Amino acid sequence: MQEELQSIIAEAKEAIKDVQDLGKLDELRVQFLGKKGALTGMMKMLGKLSAEERPKAGQVINEAKQTVQSLLNEKKRQLDDAKLAQKLAEETIDVTLPGRGVDVGSLHPVTRTLSRIETLFSKAGFTVETGPEIEDNWHNFEALNIPETHPARAMHDTFYINENTVLRTHTSGVQIRTMENKQPPLRIIAPGRVYRCDSDQTHTPMFHQVEGLIVEKNASFAQLRSLLIQFLREFFEDENLQTRFRPSYFPFTEPSAEVDISTDLFGEGRWLEVLGCGMVHPKVLENVGINPDEYTGLAFGLGVERLAMLRYNVKDLRQFFENDMRFLQQFK
Amino acid sequence: MKFSENWLRQWTNPEWNANELAEELSLAGLEVDDVEPVAGEFTNVVVGHVVSMEKHPDADKLNVTQVNVGEEELVQIVCGAKNVQPGQKVCCAMVGAKLPGDFKIKKAKLRGVPSNGMLCGATEIGLPDDGVDGLHLLPEDAPIGMDVREYLELNDMSIDVDLTPNRADCFSVMGIARDVNAISGAGLTVPFEEKEMAGSTACSVEIDVQEPQACPKYLGCMVTGFNAKAETPRWMKQRLERSGLRPLSLTVDITNYVLLEMGQPMHAFDSDKLQGAVQVRMAQNGEKLTTLDEKEVTLSDDTLVIADDSGAIALAGIMGGLSTSVTDETTSIFFECAHFAPLAITGKARKYGLHTDSSMRFERGVDPQLPERALNRALSLLLEIAGGEVSAIDAKISAENIPAPAQITLRAKTVTDKLGVAVSAEQIEDIFTKLGFGIEAIDGGWSMTAPSYRFDMQIEMDLVEEIGRIYGYNNLPEDPVLAPITLRELPESEQELMALKTALVQNGYNEVVTYSFVEEKKQQAIAPDLPYVLLQNPISEDMKAMRTTLFPGLLQSIAYNQNRQQGRVRMFESGLVFYKNDQDETGATQVPMLAGAIVGPVAASGWDEKPRNADFFDLKGDVETLLRMSHQLGKIRFEACNNPALHPGQSASLMKDGKEVGIIGQLHPQLVKTMGVSGTVFMFQVRQDALLTMEIPAAEKISKFPEVQRDLAFVVEQSLPVQQLLDAVNVESEILRSVDIFDIYRGQGIEPDQKSVALTLKLQHQDRTLEDAEVESLVEQILQSAKSAVNAELR
Repeated sequence: MQEELQSIIAEAKEAIKDVQDLGKLDELRVQFLGKKGALTGMMKMLGKLSAEERPKAGQVINEAKQTVQSLLNEKKRQLDDAKLAQKLAEETIDVTLPGRGVDVGSLHPVTRTLSRIETLFSKAGFTVETGPEIEDNWHNFEALNIPETHPARAMHDTFYINENTVLRTHTSGVQIRTMENKQPPLRIIAPGRVYRCDSDQTHTPMFHQVEGLIVEKNASFAQLRSLLIQFLREFFEDENLQTRFRPSYFPFTEPSAEVDISTDLFGEGRWLEVLGCGMVHPKVLENVGINPDEYTGLAFGLGVERLAMLRYNVKDLRQFFENDMRFLQQFK
Repeated sequence: MKFSENWLRQWTNPEWNANELAEELSLAGLEVDDVEPVAGEFTNVVVGHVVSMEKHPDADKLNVTQVNVGEEELVQIVCGAKNVQPGQKVCCAMVGAKLPGDFKIKKAKLRGVPSNGMLCGATEIGLPDDGVDGLHLLPEDAPIGMDVREYLELNDMSIDVDLTPNRADCFSVMGIARDVNAISGAGLTVPFEEKEMAGSTACSVEIDVQEPQACPKYLGCMVTGFNAKAETPRWMKQRLERSGLRPLSLTVDITNYVLLEMGQPMHAFDSDKLQGAVQVRMAQNGEKLTTLDEKEVTLSDDTLVIADDSGAIALAGIMGGLSTSVTDETTSIFFECAHFAPLAITGKARKYGLHTDSSMRFERGVDPQLPERALNRALSLLLEIAGGEVSAIDAKISAENIPAPAQITLRAKTVTDKLGVAVSAEQIEDIFTKLGFGIEAIDGGWSMTAPSYRFDMQIEMDLVEEIGRIYGYNNLPEDPVLAPITLRELPESEQELMALKTALVQNGYNEVVTYSFVEEKKQQAIAPDLPYVLLQNPISEDMKAMRTTLFPGLLQSIAYNQNRQQGRVRMFESGLVFYKNDQDETGATQVPMLAGAIVGPVAASGWDEKPRNADFFDLKGDVETLLRMSHQLGKIRFEACNNPALHPGQSASLMKDGKEVGIIGQLHPQLVKTMGVSGTVFMFQVRQDALLTMEIPAAEKISKFPEVQRDLAFVVEQSLPVQQLLDAVNVESEILRSVDIFDIYRGQGIEPDQKSVALTLKLQHQDRTLEDAEVESLVEQILQSAKSAVNAELR
């Protein structure tokens, strides 16, 4: 019997070895272990053995069954693995091909710059205010201490709608509107479009400004200067940025200054003007019902395109308004 | 204001070189635009005397000259200039000289004849073009052998200062010198003798000032018997040229010289051409005047003129008239030196298109105490150069109309508080002394009297500025703003525009910024019904109308990019549109909008899918993303609309609470060409205020009970907007969770004028498992609602 079992096992081994698919393997399982299988047949012969021999023989047959079963299992695992490997191989893709989906667009560099300015100031407690772009003479000029006859009016290159309204020449009008409606202390910035009737290589008839205003009981020119130096260093992320405050003149501030900056980026000794600032003229405070003996105003105006050009290496102002995708896409 | 550095240094001479001087001026508020050498860099060019000259033996166009340069021997120089003649004084570059452009003069042979130098023309040594084709000739008395740089005073710079409107006092060399002295302490000297020039004979021209308010001071006098043909001296011409003025004739040059030197404009009339008294009056409406530059202007009665019996002879403070102008034949002149009030002059130059050095100064203000000094200076120069006799000076002065010097109280505390630095009393007094103020110490500060030329000094802060300016803004301490820490409001129910912009960017849109003014015709084509505002003075005709829609700008940007081989364009813009509205204080309703446009393929690249062009639903999906982000999906509804800009079959209004808050659709095919674009463009525009509100989430319990799904296919009329079916199906129910469309079918089995709409309903109860009966009951309710509302039948 032992011999017979050995030969069945050897036969099974040989048969399983050559099997290449799961169907065939199942046939072999039936052939050896099925109801009419060779080893099942051996079990049936147990009845012919004596009670003493029976357990021993049963054990031997079971061992043979297990051997065949494990051969079958092993083969099945191999075939499963091979099948999976083949499936995976068939499913292989070229992972270097680009993915599907829409390409991302871009925020306009002016928006990007404005956002940076707004974020810096809002972290210091400034709120963002806006106002109309068609503005009346009061808010654009008169309240800002620029009467009809003032030479500064002529310097503004104003777009006129009619005798009472203009396209705002600065966002300073928002200063007036805010002070008319809110009580000090105030800390605001007013970003937005402004218009000047001027168009050449370095001027566009529309550009952007951010006006800033602080109204506090105790505020000094030294503080204004300090704030702006800090802003410029943070904006350009350059601790060594040099600034230069030059006395200047705006009808709505007194004293007034223009601010130049210089960094290694621009080349040595080159100063570039980036903003104007000053202490709000007492007449302007009076015009909006704020007592200039009690409160002091600090104000500044930033040219957004100028800052954007310096920050992002834009050489031609007009590019901001051509809206060439090849330009815009550089600001993803 | 442009001036010669050397001229300034005669008044005040700080120990700064030209560039340092420019820097200091800028930092004192007189912004220097330009510092330009008056001549090129050159060395070793001397005054030479051409002693003799003969033709070059081998060259027709060359001459061989013998030049005396002050050395023992004459220098032989071969010269090709056409105008060379014996006896001339010329600029002679010696061997070893270096001319502009690094051009070195060496010993040479020209066609065999030795030449030991070069005779120079003006531009060869970097002088302004003198208009001579050939050598730059020097005056006969030029000292032989003298260095030309020294002789022509070429070691000089033209400094150009861009003056702010408040600093009219610096419109002269004297004015700049006053400020330079204040910042440098170098001292101030008047570099000429100030003399009283008035003679004893009465001024024969009568002066009649009828407008003393506009003209509070008018000085006039006669000068007779001078040499009308006298030449303007070289030094004067030089200074005029270096200050940007062209020398013309002696009297004009002298008035211009004094204008530059002291800042006082004046005018000389040919007194023989005057008829009767000189009057200062307002013009009559329609009165005509031909000005010096031969332009005829028609005057209005708000304009101050100088007139005689013949009519207006000058625009006061702006420009003289042609009929009484001084010419070569003039033998006697009437000199006018007046003070005109700024308000009388302002705006007139612009009105008549006659901006002059005189009008610029009077508009901004001239020192009312200056006319006496300036007239004496001019007379003294004229007599020195051309001789003659001066009459008595007739002065018509209206003292009450001359602004009194401002008296301003300055509190020491104000200085410290406002500047943010303690400036000592000594420093303050020193600053105002140098600035020419009268200073009187009072309790807690000073009473300051501004000099008559500083009419910009009006209030205490003006004085604070002067201290800051001279002390130096850049010397102020860095001192942060002190304010209480207060938290800012953070309204969660407001959507940030930036978040919506970012969503569009993620969907492939590029943000553009276009001009707020557009071409009127294009706007009319896109939005014929919206009232718009026009600019009075547009940059050009195609930038004349304030936009009532963002579409023209977007379409223009699309066209720009399509013309540059960009087939796929996606853009958006945010900004105001302007509807004309006379009820509004600004004459316009100004509404913030967000708009976008797409054209061309949906995807940037497709290697495995057939490229497909974007259509209505691509754009609508992107708009719905915005609505979803702002919790407006469902609240803002799309309804087919008729908008002149859009395809009538592919356009919708975005409706919120019965009002249109936006539109979306295909650009009307008829407008494609008009707008200069190509392809099928889809566009949207939404009011920002409709998108910038949100709801603060309030979380609901999630049901633990199973969800039931029912699919229903309805047959409805082909033309029925599916939204109406959805509205009917969305019945009031506590178990109906959602209704979604999963198929729209037309074709076999469905009548040609009908369509099948298949919906998935999801049902769920919050607290228990649904029973069949209640599900069936709801379905029945839905079927009935759909039937009665839109005549929908179950398929």
